Order: sequence, then structure tokens, then C-alpha cells
Amino acid sequence: MDQEALKRLERLNKLRLTEEETAAMLDYFQMQRRELESLHAVNTEQVERMVHVMPMTNIIREDKASQPFTREELQEGAPESYDGYWQVPRLVD
Amino acid sequence: MKYETVIGLEVHVELATESKIFCSCSAKFGAEQNEHVCPACCGMPGMLPVVNKRVVDLGMTAGMMLNCDINRVTTFDKKSYYYPDLPASYQTTQWFAPICVNGTVDIRTSAGEKKIRIKQIHMEEDAGKLVHDDWTDTSLVDFNRTSVPLIEIVSQPDLSSAEEVLAYLERLRDLLRFAKVSDCRWEQGSMRCDVNLSVRPEGSDVLGVRTEMKNMNSLSAIERAIEYETARHIDAIERGIGELVQETRRWDDIKGKSYSMRNKETAGDYRYFPDPNIMPVVIDDDWYDRIRASLPDFPEVKKARYMEELGLSEYDADQLIQSRAFCDVFEAAYAECGMAKEAANWLISDCASVLNKNQQTFDMLNINGKALGQLIRLVAEEKVSRGNAKRILAEMFKKDIDPEEFAKANGLILSNDTGAIEAVVKNVIVSDPKSVADYKGGKEKALMALFGKCMKELKGNCNPQVLRELLIKAINEE
Repeated sequence: MDQEALKRLERLNKLRLTEEETAAMLDYFQMQRRELESLHAVNTEQVERMVHVMPMTNIIREDKASQPFTREELQEGAPESYDGYWQVPRLVD
Repeated sequence: MKYETVIGLEVHVELATESKIFCSCSAKFGAEQNEHVCPACCGMPGMLPVVNKRVVDLGMTAGMMLNCDINRVTTFDKKSYYYPDLPASYQTTQWFAPICVNGTVDIRTSAGEKKIRIKQIHMEEDAGKLVHDDWTDTSLVDFNRTSVPLIEIVSQPDLSSAEEVLAYLERLRDLLRFAKVSDCRWEQGSMRCDVNLSVRPEGSDVLGVRTEMKNMNSLSAIERAIEYETARHIDAIERGIGELVQETRRWDDIKGKSYSMRNKETAGDYRYFPDPNIMPVVIDDDWYDRIRASLPDFPEVKKARYMEELGLSEYDADQLIQSRAFCDVFEAAYAECGMAKEAANWLISDCASVLNKNQQTFDMLNINGKALGQLIRLVAEEKVSRGNAKRILAEMFKKDIDPEEFAKANGLILSNDTGAIEAVVKNVIVSDPKSVADYKGGKEKALMALFGKCMKELKGNCNPQVLRELLIKAINEE
């Protein structure tokens, strides 16, 4: 993880880091990387990739519609809302 | 130098489900803003997605219609990007094991037939909608469309002109509507298309710089955009006009130009990773066979059968295969009455005119085909007049009725009671001696006047042929 990779992550995550934050973040990532690298000591050649902790499949439901929540309940915690919409800072690509 | 255009398409199709892909909110189009939302589709922390089985059914159906292999173990992944229309800050989609791979679609253009290869079909959730509010200088977010189920059909770069692209899109639309996977309505956004395009010298096997135009939502816009982009690429290659870089571009259909979106994200930037909250979906033989058995014939197979086995004209067969609903009602009506030509006529003229009057599409035909067959038989057996049968048909559009019961209850059964008809004829002749004299004097039209009066007295409920015979007989006996 270098300056350039961190800049890219900043852009993708729509963040703006100060110089101090950048330095702290780089330290943090270096530490993470050292810890992850220590895992290389384990031989995983014969081990299948595990995505799900539980050995379950087909957790599915029938196609039935219901509406247990109202818009008002969901927007109670919204910092800003207007006419039934969530309202956010203007964003145009 | 001559150039060729290389086009690949990513087509998004909204699936015909009642509820969303990972929660039970309604997936219906056209509700008030944020009427169809819950903590799951609003991306609130701690919510667990549960896959809608029908989405998998329809994903498989689409794949089988497009000759794909079905992945028997299919999984969901997270695609990360930040935008306010995506509340979880990732889209749940399929990257590592999409439901369908390696298909083909046959298209026909002025140059002949061509096979377009399908790379894959994956299931995913739609994003919400943003409304930019100039007054408050903010963006307003509507999450109704968030998590509405989609499939994305990714073609190989096998297309080389706007004509081929339109033929491919129309074929996809026909097949998916026929299999009831989606209503594929461009104007409602239930079918949308990303166009990936590059240009290279004819005969070269090296691909040129590729640009992508996203969210195209009409066939005419797609056609114009392809022509514009092709010319722009050639200008850049030949004369160095403008820059040609791999990028996403926005098509402005009013100005007829494409604009750079300066968005150069690559697959790596999306940081795809398996979604640990959604367990793999395993499609066993029973499930696979059930979907395979539910597939309809292709439209052209039905057309051939209607012409060869049932003796319909090419015109009639073409009209019926415009819509799966028409085919279904036609087949049920034919099974009941055994009269193919009559059944086709009732659909093509009478049912179509009711739908037009109600401003409905042919796919929205929702009447009982067996009842239509019974109605056709009532007319053939001269129990109900053609005019009254149309009234009964209008009722069938409102509710599921038994045509004969309805005709009986409403006095629409033709009278074969010659005694009653003779009594009316006698009264009319006595009341209009002038017309009787005119007819006897050779004026054919006078008979029609008398016939009309009798029919009015009988309220239309008598066999016209029987009435005519009894009327002439009575006049001659005068």
C-alpha cells in the first residue's frame, strides 16, 4: 500500500484525507499487511476456498409482496427528507 | 481505408416478479416515491437479504430461451461503488458464478442470418432513482426501484452495425416476453441497454479503443448513438479529431451527441467479493427439469404449427404470435370449439379492438380462453347472434363468466320459437300495409323495413334466417 494506491481508494470511496490522516492510514495499512502476510506461513494448498461459514444452501423465499414498514417510519432517522424523498447533497457525475 | 464496427451489448431486463430480489417489498412500477421500501432495500445495517425463488426461476428461463448452460451452483457477490441511489454502497450482483453462461441468439437482417454469442446472464438488484432539485440545489432519492430484480444479458462483441443491434434487441424482447420473463417495456425502463463499441480496419483481428454508452432506453436512440459513435471513432483514428480513450460516455439524444463522463472505473475498482450473507443457490435436477418443461415454443415454431396443422393464413398466424397472451387464449379457445379460423378472427379483430379501446397492449389480454371457445360455439350453433356475442365478450373482459349462463340470464339467446316469431310477423304486416304492398310491387327494400320492425319487436333475439323465411311466407299468404 503506497501513496498512489491510497489515493485511488480515497477516490473510489469519495473521501478526502488530510496529510496527517494519510500518514496514519498508511501506517495502519502497513500493519494490516504485515499481519496478513504472517498468514502465508500456513499451508493452504489442499484447502478449498471458504466463503460461507455455515454449510447452508438455498435460503430462498416465495415471491410474495408485503409492506411491513411505512415510508414515515423509515425516514424517521434521516438527517434530511423532503416530500417523501431522502434529501442528500447534490451529486451529478 | 474501410473500417468495421465491433459492438457488444449489456442488456438489463427487469423481471416480472411481484416482490423485490432480496426483500418482500413490492416490485411494481409507478408507486409514489418511497412507498415500496423497507430496512433491507434501504441498506440499513444488520439486514439480511433472502433470495426470491422466482428470480432464479426467471433467470433460468431466460438462459434456456437463449440456449445457455445453467450453472447448477450459482452465487452472489458485492460490487462496491458509492452513489446515493445505492444505499448499501454496494450492489449485490453475480460475478464469480453467474446463473447462465455460453448462449446464442439467432438474428435476421437484410444481410441474412447470424448467430450472436451470449457470454453470460447474471441476476442482480436495480439501483434507486435520483431527482436533481434545482430549487434547493440538492438531490432527492427514491428507493422504490432499489433491489427490483434484474437480469443482465452480456453478449460477446459479435455485432457490427446498428441494424444488427436492433435485430438482436428485438429478438431478445420477443423471446423474453414470450417466456413471460419480463414485459420488456423500454418506455418504463424495464429494458435498458449499455452499448460497448470500438472501430478497427476491416479484416483486422485487433480490437480498437472501446467506449461504453450506458442506460440507453429506446431503439431509436441506440441506432443514432451507434452511428454517431462510429463516425466519431473513425474521425479520431483517421484525422486525429478529438481524443479516443477507454471511457464511459453519456448519450444526449436531443443534441444527438455523446459526452465523456470522465469515469474510468475498471472491474478491479469495483472490488467484487463474495457476499457472505447470501448462501449459494443449488439448482437440482427437479428444479432444472421443472423450468425446462415450462418453456414455451419459440414464436416461429407456433407460427408454423398454426399454419400447417390448423390451416391458418400466414397473416393470422403472424398476428397471433405477436403476443404470448394471444397464443394462450387462442389455443384454449381452439381446444374448446375446434374452429381455428373463427378463434383467430375473434382474437385478431374483436379482442384487439377491446384492448385498443382500453389502451392496453396485447400482452395484457386476460380473458378465459375456454370461455371464448364456448362463445364461438354459441354463435356457430346460432344460439347467440354475432352482435350479442360481442356484448358477451365485453363482459368477459370484466369478469370470468360462463357465456351461455350469461346469455340466458340476460335474454340474449336467439329464439327458435317459431310461434312467437309468427305472432310478431303478423302484427307487423297488419300495422304496415304500405311496405307490404311496396314489396309485392317489387321493392326489395320494403322487405328490409318490415324485417327491421320485426327484429326490433323481438329485441334482436331471433335467428335472422328463420325470421326472413317466415316474413316472406306470411307476406305471400296475404
